[in-house]
Amino acid sequence: MPAVVMEAVTKTYRGRRGRPPQKALDELDLLVENGGVHGFLGPNGSGKTTSIRVLLGLVSADAGTARLFDRPVPDALPEVIGHVGALVETPLFFPNFSGRRNLELLAEVAGVPRTRVDECLDIVDLRDRAGDRFKGYSLGMKQRLGIAAALLKHPRLLILDEPSNGLDPAGIRDVRELIRRLGRDGHTTVLLSSHLLAEIEQVADSVTILTRGRRVANGPVREVLAGRSTHDVVIRVSDRESAGAVLQAAGFGLSPFDDVRGPALAVHNVQAPGEVTRLLARHGHYLEELTPVHADLETAFLAITGEPA
Amino acid sequence: MTASVQHPPAEPLQELPPAPRGSLVKAELHRFRARRFIQVLAGIGVLGWAAAIIIGLFTFGTPTEADYAAAHAQVDRIIQENETYRQECLDDPPSDAPEGVPAEEVCGPPLTEADIGGVESFLGKAPFDLAASGTVGAVAFAGLASALAFVVGATWIGAEWSTRSIVALLFWAPRRMRVMGTKFGVLVAGATVLGIAAQVGWLIMAGILDAAVGTDEPLPDDFWGSLLQTQARGVLLVVLAAVLGFGLTSIVRNTGAALGIAFVYVVVIQLILGNAKPSWSPWLLGTNAAGLVMDGGVRLMFWDKVDYSADKLGQPVEYYLGNLQSGIFLTVVAVLLVGLGTVLFARRDMH
Repeated sequence: MPAVVMEAVTKTYRGRRGRPPQKALDELDLLVENGGVHGFLGPNGSGKTTSIRVLLGLVSADAGTARLFDRPVPDALPEVIGHVGALVETPLFFPNFSGRRNLELLAEVAGVPRTRVDECLDIVDLRDRAGDRFKGYSLGMKQRLGIAAALLKHPRLLILDEPSNGLDPAGIRDVRELIRRLGRDGHTTVLLSSHLLAEIEQVADSVTILTRGRRVANGPVREVLAGRSTHDVVIRVSDRESAGAVLQAAGFGLSPFDDVRGPALAVHNVQAPGEVTRLLARHGHYLEELTPVHADLETAFLAITGEPA
Repeated sequence: MTASVQHPPAEPLQELPPAPRGSLVKAELHRFRARRFIQVLAGIGVLGWAAAIIIGLFTFGTPTEADYAAAHAQVDRIIQENETYRQECLDDPPSDAPEGVPAEEVCGPPLTEADIGGVESFLGKAPFDLAASGTVGAVAFAGLASALAFVVGATWIGAEWSTRSIVALLFWAPRRMRVMGTKFGVLVAGATVLGIAAQVGWLIMAGILDAAVGTDEPLPDDFWGSLLQTQARGVLLVVLAAVLGFGLTSIVRNTGAALGIAFVYVVVIQLILGNAKPSWSPWLLGTNAAGLVMDGGVRLMFWDKVDYSADKLGQPVEYYLGNLQSGIFLTVVAVLLVGLGTVLFARRDMH
């Protein structure tokens, strides 16, 4: 039973003040299997947050179906909402209440024991400042409180929309570690929406890439990257010019470059790196290094969507 | 491109135990009580009430026999002087008096003590008259509490929209009608407490003033029944005011906008239009608020509609706006506003 299924979901926002209607989701499909961390990646305005709002019953879809744990939403949302924790965009709390008070009110709504409030404050390292008013929190503290609120229900599905917003580097590291940990605990499925490609690459097991409200790629991160392999290798040899001439004569494209480790040669369109090794060895050039150039998610993302994140 | 993801089999989804009964109500009640605005308002209300008692104790007094004698003498002198002018008028009616109008009508009836406010008006510090002030005070306290209740109702839901915490609440309680109904119920309960507190506050204040600086005159037989009825209608007015504020703000989703609309309504529609077109007054909220809470309702004079029938030649049309009619009118308006706000809340996309 997948945690999340969206099939052909379409949503168009009405145009206001003379603006034309805006299609936010265009027959979007999304499948998030149980367990692990699923990245949700797309340029600004590609429909990530709208998709999450549809799943949480905040926005009604014009067409298509959405299911959480095999229950149709929004109709059956009350049945599954106890299993879902969410942080959507900016955390929403009462500014004059303390962080603890805000969490206690939410815990009371769902009948979550108060001890869980302190547990979640501990998880996000906010217990020392829990008595301060929310409006006095820094952006990072607000974000951490939002994550604590999302964790209160000990959810089976944790939906995090840009959770690293406003966090300092240490906070970002902690949040990513938390997400990884949750994804591995065998209980939680994390749907992580982020514009930070590196974040998705570091913590997600699988990814869905969307642009203009449509899914353009999905699957395990490695497979998505493999599908965008560069077939390039970087080599280092003692005589770069001579080795380059050998490779050029064999029909390889070359790009010499220098980095902190010295002169290097990028060899393009290498179907099997062994060919390069054998060819150079036959001509008396012995490799000091041969490194395949992997596509990173940014490269893949740009290639797939054709636009910046 | 698509590819499948393999994960270890997940544990089956357990049916969650339902949230404890009334947990949303409890949480909303806690939030209502914990709201700084409500607490500040309550503090200001208590301070204002205490200040009013102190001012009352200084305003009213316990006159001596000599004070009464001096006041009676002053009243008698004014009545006597007026009678002298009146006799002169009767003996020599004014030359510009309308033809055919009797001199008695031109010069008016004899002046009475009641016409000039009674002997109490001529005392330096008149005693507090519970019989005369009981319902007046109840109406005044109801009016003040209603204004506060409107603001409380508007900010109660307005703060949810300004912080968008109502969206966060829907992550926890996705049944929108239940959320709105709970907030509405908590507001009605809070407004009822406010209305009752205001009326109890008036009773305590009146009791203190009566005991300290009150008259010795016995109260009329129907005093308490009439007062309690006025107070009950006052509590109803407070609740309706809170509901109106809640409903209006639910529609515009902004406390400032709702209060602005209320201000413009009072200044432009209630005051200006009400004076320019008195015959529209029965359809105005302010007039109906008075009609609901005033003892016996209000009698309106339509100066823009003159009665030319034989027996009321040139007199404005009179209109009686009773308690029941006003109550129904205000309730219908409140229900319409809250109903529209609720329907919009149920159907709106939340951002």
